[in-house]
Amino acid sequence: MTRPGLWIGFLVIATVVTLALLAPELAPHDPYRSGVDMLDLPSRAHPLGTDDLGRDILSRVIHGARTSLAIGFGAAMVGMVIGVPIGLIAGYFRGRLDFVLVALIDLFIALPGLVLALIITVMIGPSVRNLVLVLGFVMWPAIARLVRGQTLAVRETVFVEAARAVGGSQGWIIRRHVWPSVLPVVAAQFAISVSFAIFTSASLSFLGLGIPPPAADWGGMVRSGYDYLAINPLMSLAPGAAVTFTVMGFYVIGASFK
Amino acid sequence: MAWKLGRRQAIAGLGGSLLLGNAAHAETPRNGGTLNVGLASDAKTYDPIYSVQFTERHVLYLVFNTLVKYAPDFSIQPELAASWETSQDGKRIVFTLQQGVTFHDGTPFNADAVKWNIDRRLDPTVNSPQRELLAPVIASVEVLDPHRVAFNLTKPSPAIFSLLGERPGFMVSPTSWQKLGKEFAEHPVGTGAFVLKEWVRGSQVVLEKNPNYWEKGLPYLDRIVVRDLAGSVVGVQRLLTGEVDYVGELTASDVRPIEGKPDIVLKPIKVGRWYFLQWHVNAPPFDNAKLRQAIAHAIDRKRLNEITMRGQGYVSDSPTPEGLWWYDPTVKSYDYDPAKAKALLAEAGYPNGFEYQLSTPQVAIFQQINQLLQEQFAAVGIKVTLQPVASSEWYARVVDGTTNMTPTRWTQRADPDGLLYILFDSKGFANTMKYRNDKVDALLEEARTTYDIGTRKRLYRAAQQQIVTDLPMVPLIFGAEYAALRGNVRGFEWIPDQIPRFRELWKARA
Amino acid sequence: MLRLIVRRALMMIPTALLVSALLYFSVTFLLGSPAVMMLGQDASPQAVAALNAKYGFDQPVVVQYAYWLGAALQGDLGRSYTTQQSVAKAIAVCIPVTLELSFWSILLATSLAVVLNTIPAARWLITRATTAVNLVGITVPNFMLGISLIFLFSVVLGWLPSTGWVPWSEGVLLHLRHMIMPVLTLSSYYFGVFSIVYRAEFRDVVQRMFIRVAQAKGLGEWRVAFRHAMPNAILPVITFVGISTGQLTGGAVVTETIFSMPGTGRLFVAAIEGRDFPVMLAIGMLIVIGVVLMNLLADIAYTIANPQIRFDA
Repeated sequence: MTRPGLWIGFLVIATVVTLALLAPELAPHDPYRSGVDMLDLPSRAHPLGTDDLGRDILSRVIHGARTSLAIGFGAAMVGMVIGVPIGLIAGYFRGRLDFVLVALIDLFIALPGLVLALIITVMIGPSVRNLVLVLGFVMWPAIARLVRGQTLAVRETVFVEAARAVGGSQGWIIRRHVWPSVLPVVAAQFAISVSFAIFTSASLSFLGLGIPPPAADWGGMVRSGYDYLAINPLMSLAPGAAVTFTVMGFYVIGASFK
Repeated sequence: MAWKLGRRQAIAGLGGSLLLGNAAHAETPRNGGTLNVGLASDAKTYDPIYSVQFTERHVLYLVFNTLVKYAPDFSIQPELAASWETSQDGKRIVFTLQQGVTFHDGTPFNADAVKWNIDRRLDPTVNSPQRELLAPVIASVEVLDPHRVAFNLTKPSPAIFSLLGERPGFMVSPTSWQKLGKEFAEHPVGTGAFVLKEWVRGSQVVLEKNPNYWEKGLPYLDRIVVRDLAGSVVGVQRLLTGEVDYVGELTASDVRPIEGKPDIVLKPIKVGRWYFLQWHVNAPPFDNAKLRQAIAHAIDRKRLNEITMRGQGYVSDSPTPEGLWWYDPTVKSYDYDPAKAKALLAEAGYPNGFEYQLSTPQVAIFQQINQLLQEQFAAVGIKVTLQPVASSEWYARVVDGTTNMTPTRWTQRADPDGLLYILFDSKGFANTMKYRNDKVDALLEEARTTYDIGTRKRLYRAAQQQIVTDLPMVPLIFGAEYAALRGNVRGFEWIPDQIPRFRELWKARA
Repeated sequence: MLRLIVRRALMMIPTALLVSALLYFSVTFLLGSPAVMMLGQDASPQAVAALNAKYGFDQPVVVQYAYWLGAALQGDLGRSYTTQQSVAKAIAVCIPVTLELSFWSILLATSLAVVLNTIPAARWLITRATTAVNLVGITVPNFMLGISLIFLFSVVLGWLPSTGWVPWSEGVLLHLRHMIMPVLTLSSYYFGVFSIVYRAEFRDVVQRMFIRVAQAKGLGEWRVAFRHAMPNAILPVITFVGISTGQLTGGAVVTETIFSMPGTGRLFVAAIEGRDFPVMLAIGMLIVIGVVLMNLLADIAYTIANPQIRFDA
């Protein structure tokens, strides 16, 4: 990835994080306050206009950053917590355990992420917590595979051989020698996972399995705005743009460091 | 019109004066053309005997005739039954049928066919969902001669006529039904003005003119194609480009882009769907009358109407909207008064309010209403979270009781008994509120066995006031709803059951 | 190698069984009475009880699963709870729509990715531009792209029909007009991915000696790029098509929903919304088997093309 791309990535993430942290201060209106001026086009009072219940779209987009980031980071963490140990163990110990784990990883990786998330979400019901768990669960195989590959490579390097010769315990070797060289890959994958989680949760919301209203949720806003595309297109396009830029920002960062 | 005045004439209120109201239009109808209907279809079957879905009736009214039909004021008019007479005790109705009517398969429509149709629905092995409606009322159907058939009732039933104007009254061809079996759902055969040629599920239904249709001069159109649409935006788009001629179920917001367009005609429905907020009256916390009143006082119905209906619907004080004969302006529900709501909550034992789940079917209008209710409840200290439920699963949950507090909507029926009894009588099958008030039961029972309209009016007024006071539900609003048509489509008129009838439409030169 | 392929194919069977059982049990466990769902608001309790008996909803779950599996193996996937239609028939009607959408999308994505990254002038001039386009293709969510296209081409310009699908029989042109936006929507992601994969491979191939030789022999740059480098660089893209089937199904679900096309993806979403269990289960199984199969094919294709690579399973 090119350098300006990287800077743009950082800029986008910084903006989204700032919006999320300072949402109540930055939003011009209460994102949940209805009004009798429904679906108005942009005006001085409502820079992006209002939605079908007369709520300020800009304020809702700003507050939506919180939901998206919570799901993105949360799901990426869950994916890491499951995927990293499995990848490390499979890659380091090899043998029969590795065979079983790889078979498991392959099985799950073959299943389409969005479809899997769709089925699980419909069964356990959509909420921020459930989406974090579901998306984390969907993402772990990719993480595990990556970590396993990296571990395999590191395992054979001179210093791990040396450490083993000296008689370090397995845990110590993993901690001191394998983990540090796996870490950069994990960090890059983390950013990509955040991007994927935001992307997928927005898609789920669009399909009607997102966080229930009145939550300011970007994918859900795109979906409900779809009906009013000819009246105030920003009800759909503004949160859609927010999803796109956030997904892009995290992806660029992740891809550059990989 | 050569049909005898039965006693039902008094019940129907307004007589036949409105019958030809639409035909008074100066233009002469033009024959030919294809009408393209855009519809978000939920059809599962076009066999009337098994029909339960809302939009199935759009097509059923084209393929089939009913024994009687509804006029735009919900009065009962002749259709396949040319006339009828009710006996002194009100327990026997003799219908005289139209002559020279044949089914699409060429078999004749006659008294035997009527008997077969009703018997089929009554037969427990057939398992028709209409059995529950007919079985308590109809003792037997008797063929007097090929064109006269008698319905023997278990008790006087003014509502039987309204039933025979909808699903139970669609006359299917006995020959084809027996021959086709399950396939009949996709290849329905009736006496209607149009013949169903093809049904591609999820895509379209093609209907062609029945050249042998029995009503002189009808139909005008050659073809009707009912195209499946994903939603109103799509419908409005297609209407603008002329890909479809009719789009229905539009909300007040949906019609904003087409208001004032010269080549588009908007038809607002006069009698809208009834929206209310219901709960189980026996389950805590809703078994507490003061708490129910507090909630009723907390709801700003005017604002609900202003935002969800752009002010084009009506505030509801009772189950019945203006325009139906059993409407009574003196029936009043509880006013919007947040201060009083708070006081009542405290009296009910909830000084700090309470928390509850508000069930939210995945339908835009319910989501909108619920978000507004949530805001209004919060103002008096009631904290509700919106619990999303798939729209298909929602009613099942309401029935089995896993959903308690939920908004609901029902369309109006041609007889007050149709809605009031099933919802509010303790034996009503749609009484998911578990409401029981013996006084209301007695009033409804008396009203459903009386033919005199003045008496019925009085009884229904008393019953409705009692229901609204008891609060098994809070009446919210009567919705605004539109159909939009291309400017050259003529002859459209709403019936308050909200099912558009396309049979008599015609297209002027564009 | 044949033995390996057979072994891989046989491994699909336990996978399919495992997934179907998991799907079956979790769905029945978590969903409520399907009878009322099927009958709707106007149904009476008597009708509900009758239906429960008819479909065997009163039997233990294991028994129900055994019945389902037995019938499924004979090609009978049951009847839809909501439409009463045969599930196999319903799916059969939808599959061509999804296949056609996928076919055009993959075709467009691969050919654009290959051509844009092969043309010598373009290669050097628009490297930056395609990098940006790749990024957009990969990261812009389908629904956002679809809605933006609808807004631009249908709402503002009025050039294309916003949604829907028209069979070939109603006119080739009409059919294709309805396909334009869905295909653009679904192909963007693949264009991005294929473009990256192809470009890396292309560079690699160009670096290799024989291309240098060809250049030295005085062949034109275009000729070298298209006649020599492209055929060698295209293989990974083809195997990648197989590997990304899973992604494709996800994209198709969203795309068909936006444009309300009567395909398998939309049927799946409708089944999920309607809790139409037989349809959900059948399409779920179809997707799993399809994905596993395509991965296997990709593996085989790759092995045949590069005999030095072996399965390590």
